[in-house]
Amino acid sequence: MKRREGRGTRISRISRTISELENLAGLYAVLFIAVTLIGAFTLPSLLYQEDQLYPKTIDTNSSLNPYERGGTPFNTTEVRAQYPENSPYLGYVTAYLTPVTRFIADHTPYLGTTIVAHPGGIIDEILYNTRGLDTVAETSILFVAFAIAAHLFRRED
Amino acid sequence: MFELPVTTIEGPEIFVIEFGDIVNYFTVYTAALFTFALLFTILVIISRPERQVDIAFGGDAFYTKDVTPAQMKFQRFMALACGLATLGAMMSGDVFNFTLFTSMVGITNIGIVAAYKYKHVLNAAFQYGIVAMIATVPLFGSAAIILATTGTLSMWELFGSTIAVPLIAKIFLVLGVMGEGMAPFYVAKAEITRAPGAPYVLMIHVSSLLLFLRVVEIVISM
Amino acid sequence: MEEIYILGLLAVFLSIVIGFWALVKEEDDLHRILLTDLAEILALALIALVATDLAEALILPGLVVGISELMAISEVFLVREGLTRQPERMLHIEVMDSAPAILALALIGYGVLLSGFSGGAVAGIGVIFYFICKGHDERFAIFEVLSGYAWVMWIVAFFIFVLVPQYWFFGVLIAGAAILLKVAGKMSLVGTMRGGANV
Repeated sequence: MKRREGRGTRISRISRTISELENLAGLYAVLFIAVTLIGAFTLPSLLYQEDQLYPKTIDTNSSLNPYERGGTPFNTTEVRAQYPENSPYLGYVTAYLTPVTRFIADHTPYLGTTIVAHPGGIIDEILYNTRGLDTVAETSILFVAFAIAAHLFRRED
Repeated sequence: MFELPVTTIEGPEIFVIEFGDIVNYFTVYTAALFTFALLFTILVIISRPERQVDIAFGGDAFYTKDVTPAQMKFQRFMALACGLATLGAMMSGDVFNFTLFTSMVGITNIGIVAAYKYKHVLNAAFQYGIVAMIATVPLFGSAAIILATTGTLSMWELFGSTIAVPLIAKIFLVLGVMGEGMAPFYVAKAEITRAPGAPYVLMIHVSSLLLFLRVVEIVISM
Repeated sequence: MEEIYILGLLAVFLSIVIGFWALVKEEDDLHRILLTDLAEILALALIALVATDLAEALILPGLVVGISELMAISEVFLVREGLTRQPERMLHIEVMDSAPAILALALIGYGVLLSGFSGGAVAGIGVIFYFICKGHDERFAIFEVLSGYAWVMWIVAFFIFVLVPQYWFFGVLIAGAAILLKVAGKMSLVGTMRGGANV
């Protein structure tokens, strides 16, 4: 705890509050709250753009339900990417199903909840192919965080 | 095929790298920032850490604060990662990708500082880390609002005059970069830089400075 | 659709005000870590409001960033507070002597078969179970190495997609295997990083 001697002027009290390291997160939070409150007044102007990339389609009859995007393995299907010309093999990953996935999809109607578990599918198409750089940054972040934690954990005191 | 709609702010693009939906690019402006980040990253690779000396007043005694090889190696790794993340953020042509690299800068900054054993430095690293963590809310929030209201994340589309990016998303983006790069919160940085190991610690300042210059460019262009 | 989006945004904005006000009020550092983790959910909620496949794919990096920062910060917190006490007495029942090898093998095998994200989670649970039963001295370094390999594999997969897209199939499988390693490695850390003698 820092010393809190005397009352001081208003400015010195403010500067004392700001200079205390423990108040840092609080300060940032106050700033963010203020911006959010002001932003709440502009909410009606935030209109949802109907013309989205990679739109979601629901076909309740398919066993791949929320992730059914058509196509057969090793063939392509239609995917609405930002720049299709940059990904010549767009759609192949979306249509791919591993043999295990194929088996489960043929025998149960509930594969859609687990398709993210297997290589292939629309999410993998986005994560690995069209927006691959995002996942590169993401794994690097995880790698760095892991290195920090491991270094702190392993260092002998 | 790719052409920047506005060239008054950053100059014409020099060249374009296409990674699927994410199209990175260099303009005169970002290339200058990139070169600066690159220079500093190289400097970090080749330099040795500075050693601080504490002099006890009223006597001849002094203490040298030693930097152990393990700590130096770790800090150099973190500073290098920080440099690479800064390079990534400088050339990014996609808003979400930019936010990801920004948060990577934030986390590597925590790493550079966390290598020390001094309690006051660790405390600063912790408080700073909390801010870096909550800053991801405005950062990703801004990317999400941009995607929802404009239907795209690519800066090539967003910089065009046909698409209006909501003001709140822009403010969120700046706020997020503020939190990750800690630019206005020099209180924590002062605590942090009281620790030895100069070139690595300076990487924190360089990265946040460059991030700020970049985010200003993005926000003005949008 | 537009009204729903605005209503959703309103809800998230309200949650932001409440959540961050809690952060302002909170003095205890441990509780602050918990609150920040809670606040990260709001970022994911904002992304989820977009409600496309793209949003679903963006949630994964968002989540990972939150988890990574949480991991680093909590480790800083542990070191700062000097919390390295080993639990003195742990659960020990008979099945923990006989079962670990076979159960872990089955779980890891099934996880590898599933591959990808939840495959990694299943395999990770197998590894956790094994470590809880057998102790985890000296094994920590393996995961650091594993994490590095997973990273390299991911980068290789990325370059396959960028440079030779006609081999997309190998890219998918390499990335699937990498995420399996990654998630399994991270999962198996749960509860093992409590400090002490085990390096």
